[in-house]
Amino acid sequence: MNTTTNTPTPRRFEAIVVGGGPAGLAAAYTLAAGGARVVVIERGDWPGSKNMMGGLIFSQPTGQVIPEFWKEAPLERHVTRREMWLTTGESVLKAAYESTDFGAEPYNSFTVYRSRFDKWLAEQARAKGAVIITETLVEDLLMEGNRVVGVRTGRPQGDLEADVVILAEGVNPFLAEKAGLSHGLKAESLAIAVKEVLALPREKVEDRFNLEEGTGAAYEIVGEITNGIPGTGFIYTNRDTVSIGVGVILKDMVDRAGEAYALLERFKAQPQVRRLIQGASPREYAAHLIPEGGYRGMPKLYGNGVLVVGDAAGMVNAAFTEGANLALLSGRMAAQTVLKARDCGSFEALTLSHYGELLERSVIMKDLKTFEKMAPFLSAHPHFFSIYPELASAAVKELLTVDSLSKADKMHLIIKLVKSQRPTRKYLKDLYDGWRAFS
Amino acid sequence: MSDEERDMEAGTRSRHDSLPIDNRDWTPPKHSVTAQLGLVKFKPDEDAHLLVKDKSVCRDTCRRKFCTHTCPAQVYRWEEEEKTITIAFEGCLECGTCRSGGCPYDNIEMRYPRGGFGLQYRFG
Repeated sequence: MNTTTNTPTPRRFEAIVVGGGPAGLAAAYTLAAGGARVVVIERGDWPGSKNMMGGLIFSQPTGQVIPEFWKEAPLERHVTRREMWLTTGESVLKAAYESTDFGAEPYNSFTVYRSRFDKWLAEQARAKGAVIITETLVEDLLMEGNRVVGVRTGRPQGDLEADVVILAEGVNPFLAEKAGLSHGLKAESLAIAVKEVLALPREKVEDRFNLEEGTGAAYEIVGEITNGIPGTGFIYTNRDTVSIGVGVILKDMVDRAGEAYALLERFKAQPQVRRLIQGASPREYAAHLIPEGGYRGMPKLYGNGVLVVGDAAGMVNAAFTEGANLALLSGRMAAQTVLKARDCGSFEALTLSHYGELLERSVIMKDLKTFEKMAPFLSAHPHFFSIYPELASAAVKELLTVDSLSKADKMHLIIKLVKSQRPTRKYLKDLYDGWRAFS
Repeated sequence: MSDEERDMEAGTRSRHDSLPIDNRDWTPPKHSVTAQLGLVKFKPDEDAHLLVKDKSVCRDTCRRKFCTHTCPAQVYRWEEEEKTITIAFEGCLECGTCRSGGCPYDNIEMRYPRGGFGLQYRFG
């Protein structure tokens, strides 16, 4: 992937993209397609080698960047069934949605391995004319007054200049902090996710998850698995592996000196999960932070000669576990802004504010605003991850258990149980707080 | 009360205090991730990219040694005899937990490894 060793690299570009993830590569692809001279600087051996996610990508936003990408991209399975599990220690309450529509073009979502998908995405950007430099860490920004004019890399004579620098550096925004755009992310607006990729023969994946050939399932799990810490678990099917992981709010985990991998072990040991992954052999372990601060947690998105995209800009919709599609779209919008700025010949913050306008008008900001109060709400109401799943499960169990009690008596029992767990006024307050947080 | 329940109880932080309540002594992590880390490909650099800023904070102020639990790669280990934190930076997953609250005393300096070094996901 180190494509530039034989060709002399010009030291000046129109645009520099820092980071070869979905946001940076979407930006580079769009810029190169628009005729701009753009370079992507990636610290790993190839774009994708440092990247990790659960792994779902969505067709519609990905297709906006690269139409009909599913015909060529390295994808694992197209997802035809989503399940939501509410777990207690012993039981699982499930809601599932399955659609044959999701099984036909343009599909809805796919499971992918970030490391392979991003490598492919970089190849597409390169085919459009983007230069991809790998194994190179950007250590600092070159400034002239309050304007970003380039980057300093870890290579000898490694300064590069450009009209504009797009920071797609990921969830640890070292450079955005240096530029004064970000004040770093706080533990309350971050989730820590750990994941394992477990190998299973293809037929076993399809048998155990009740899948037709090539189709996939994605499960989100809430409840006892996170041991009362706000968070979720996930299970995604790949071609011949299963991705399984847990993500919890970092602040709540730190407060308890908790261990994310211990939660993952608990999750894997839950009987309903264990039988899905029985006999599977571990292939990889990974950890990543997720910026879940939503609309409120976002840094300044642009300055003179600089734009921030993807995780570095907090582009994650935690409520719907969407990140990569927001990254792709934000990268594309940043690129569109740069192409427009190029026509005006100005890369001042005022010109680049067009990026903010594009975002405001897009589904990204609409969704993030809707859910902006969610993270603080869940952090303040951890019983949503403990008491409520327990109650829901106990209620369903009572109704489904046939014994000598009448149904009316059972309803009575359930109401008594609910009342014993929390006083009614607290339920009302939860309901009110929840309504305020989500409406 | 089980260990887990006690952990839940300990999960408190007063509203006006940015630090978690640190009133329990260090205990070793419940699980080891050695086997998991063996599956990850690393290209370790010679120079450490992780650094404890002030060792006296680990020794005298921080009782629970939070980083020994919060780091998903168990890079940080408390050596009870030497009363110091050791850093196995070669097995760092580069997630950033330690710089973002994983050390509640903000006592860890994290950089990324030099270009071409560090972890390399095959799946990711």
